Amino acid sequence: MNAKPARFAASAYNSFLLLGCLAVLGLPVHAGAAAADAAEPTPESNLSLSGFGTLGIARSSSDQVEFVRDLSQPKGISDHWSGLIDTLFGVQTNWRATPTVELVGQVVSRYHYDGSHNPEVMWAFAKWDPDARLSLRAGRIGADFMMLADSRLVGYSYLPVRPPSDFFGPLFFSHFDGADASVTLPLGDGLVRGKLFGGATHEKATGAPGVWDTSGSPVAGLVLDYQAGPWLLRANTASIKFSNDIKFAPLPDTLRSVGATFGYPSAIAAADALTTRNTTTRFYSVGAVYDDGPLQVQGMLNSIHHETEVFQNSRAGYVLAGYRLGPVTPFAGVSWWRSKFKPNTTGLPDVAPFAALNQAFDQIMVASTADQNTYTLGARWDFRQNMALKVQWDAVRGTSASRFPFAHSEAGWNGHTDVLSLCLDFIF
Amino acid sequence: MKTAHALLILLLAAAWPAAAADWVVVANPKAGITRLSQDEVTNIYLGRYRRLASGATAEPIDQPADSALKARFYRQLVDKNLAEINAYWSRLVFSGKTRPPRIAGSNEDALQIVLLHPDALAYVDKARVDSRFVVVFEIAE
Repeated sequence: MNAKPARFAASAYNSFLLLGCLAVLGLPVHAGAAAADAAEPTPESNLSLSGFGTLGIARSSSDQVEFVRDLSQPKGISDHWSGLIDTLFGVQTNWRATPTVELVGQVVSRYHYDGSHNPEVMWAFAKWDPDARLSLRAGRIGADFMMLADSRLVGYSYLPVRPPSDFFGPLFFSHFDGADASVTLPLGDGLVRGKLFGGATHEKATGAPGVWDTSGSPVAGLVLDYQAGPWLLRANTASIKFSNDIKFAPLPDTLRSVGATFGYPSAIAAADALTTRNTTTRFYSVGAVYDDGPLQVQGMLNSIHHETEVFQNSRAGYVLAGYRLGPVTPFAGVSWWRSKFKPNTTGLPDVAPFAALNQAFDQIMVASTADQNTYTLGARWDFRQNMALKVQWDAVRGTSASRFPFAHSEAGWNGHTDVLSLCLDFIF
Repeated sequence: MKTAHALLILLLAAAWPAAAADWVVVANPKAGITRLSQDEVTNIYLGRYRRLASGATAEPIDQPADSALKARFYRQLVDKNLAEINAYWSRLVFSGKTRPPRIAGSNEDALQIVLLHPDALAYVDKARVDSRFVVVFEIAE
């Protein structure tokens, strides 16, 4: 079993995080405190170091399923307290090389596809703002696949413990190597912003067949925002063309040879259905945020269409609302996720020796089934500057067929689990 | 229910500043700005859109993190507390988007920066403003 080294790595990581937190608590940074002479303006530093992190623990009510934050996590949490899924730490440095050019680098340590917390370079880009209306970035940049997707690790920036898993769970991409360009213009009483991005991913996902390397997959997308008064409206489209197949070996080759030997073209077609290489997945989403004083409400809808037969197409959405009462903001939300089964079969008779092939193939066809709602209730308490404590209860109510994005769901699971989460979010 | 209602009022009262607006937003006369709307000031300070009528990019100046004036400014401009403003900026900064306003050490510092940088804007204590500055925004009471 490889659980032991992983646990050791996790505890070493937690000590590292604790040290990080103590450093944050002990050394509050006051940018203005350095000004010795009040008559002189505070010198503006061109170099800054900042960071964010979350110390989070969660447990669920079911030992038959492991709740994960998204598909980048190989294991999730079940019926005992664990800091696995939400705990993370990031540092960022910004260097303003000229008034219009800035270099940004960000490294994040979090639990990800290989079970480690190895630091990962999230961003490393140059940003050029030739004018207040135009911003160009090139390098490794955030994958803006849906509204708020590129800030979903920054717990301090939002109300709940984590963004709704029903909505963001299938997004295992955080960044890509490429470029984006955004233009902001006044329109009516508001601002309209358009953004185009393109490049290639180099990230890995995890699942039952093991790690799936999507490195070199081209991505492209378009974002349109309209902001007016308390409203922010957004429409997004993005696509990714996968560069690699998922390692289902030896199943596809076996299906092909069995199909050829015994005269079942349907088995060969079934092997083709397991292809992901050169297939395109498209993401569409629309969202609205209403943010007025103490009240904030946001709602989003998405639709994900996969050319490959391996993943079911899906639709998801969520609504989340919070109301500030002094330093505490209680919030409530509902999210949902539904997928559509793609009716592929091998066409092989369900007898030995074919039955095992049928079973393996059918399992893949249902592995991405999502059919669930999640009801969320919680509160955020901003107890001191740059720190927030959160508590959250999520009631996952799905059908027994629902198994995405969970890890290791057991056959008898009824699709219900309750997740209780506690976390401390901080920035520095 | 009555207790809950009383508690709500108490919380709201505690969160609400009692003082009227004692700050103004000032610019350097060389910037050629005479007036900004509340939406324009909001867009500049929240980093949504910083283009001035002259075509220059506005450079907003913030007060120190622990300043009471900063808390009043954001409360009266957008009805947000400083934790919410910090949360807002953490989203933009850590997704590599807009830069937050430059932080001055004090009112004097902020005014000094405005004198030195024609594109700078600062919200400052109303009583400290003199004829070297143009008041471009004052919140309606």
